[in-house]
Amino acid sequence: MKHPTNHDNGNVKLECVTPVATAPATIERPAVDESTDVAPDSPWVVLVWNDPINLMSYVTFVLQKLFGYSLQKATELMLDVHYKGKAVVSSGTREKAEMDVFHLHEHGLWATMQKDGGRNDDGSGS
Amino acid sequence: MIGRRRRAVRRTSDGFVLDLDVDEVHLLRRLIGEVRQLVTGASPDDPKLARLFPPAYTDDDGSESEYRRLMHDELVTSRATAIDTVETTLAASETSKNRVVFDAAGLEALATSLNSVRLVLGTLLGITDEDDEPDHDVPEVALYHFLSWMLDGVVEALMTGG
Repeated sequence: MKHPTNHDNGNVKLECVTPVATAPATIERPAVDESTDVAPDSPWVVLVWNDPINLMSYVTFVLQKLFGYSLQKATELMLDVHYKGKAVVSSGTREKAEMDVFHLHEHGLWATMQKDGGRNDDGSGS
Repeated sequence: MIGRRRRAVRRTSDGFVLDLDVDEVHLLRRLIGEVRQLVTGASPDDPKLARLFPPAYTDDDGSESEYRRLMHDELVTSRATAIDTVETTLAASETSKNRVVFDAAGLEALATSLNSVRLVLGTLLGITDEDDEPDHDVPEVALYHFLSWMLDGVVEALMTGG
């Protein structure tokens, strides 16, 4: 992941005030038990892989938004992705893992899923 | 260049205001329009889109085809919807002296749309090593850094409330 680069090409005063409705952030925050990273009986894990394009701040933001993780938890996972190359960000049934991967893809993260333990010998024939 | 770092987004009483001049708004509209066209029109196998549609299963071709069959159109729709939201706000700014104001949901759409543009541009630039310091004199590289700066500001505003 990449730190942003400072950018400075002058400042512009925008003076006209236009009322625009503000809405509360529609961030889903599912309940998360942060004491366990992965439930022991979860057959599928979702991995996020390090990549040279996504910003570290953006990855942290997406993990918080999608999984309801605290800033600390999301930052730890982001740093694992950055320094170890990947991190398990969620786990569960195959259907849950697939939806999690979809939402991560929706946000441009490089996510894959596999059977816990690294095997991917799914025989459900979906 | 001045040493001061400009902030991309400011929180005001009526929303999140983007600190962009008229040329930057035009540029942003053009870029997200191009990505919209790519996402909705190009073949899913177009290498420019590789980072926008990564595989879910890396060692199971059957499951991967099924994932694509079920999810690809959803991903396209989701990206296009986010871009439409951003486009509407940017278009509205042209009738309000370029004041670009997003609500929180719009700012999230801006974050994902900016990231989509960066993923395509970064792929085109062949950015494969995060420790590389690309040449800032290349216009596309400067553009890439501009988008990174803006996205970082947007994310900061989303995470701290501005």
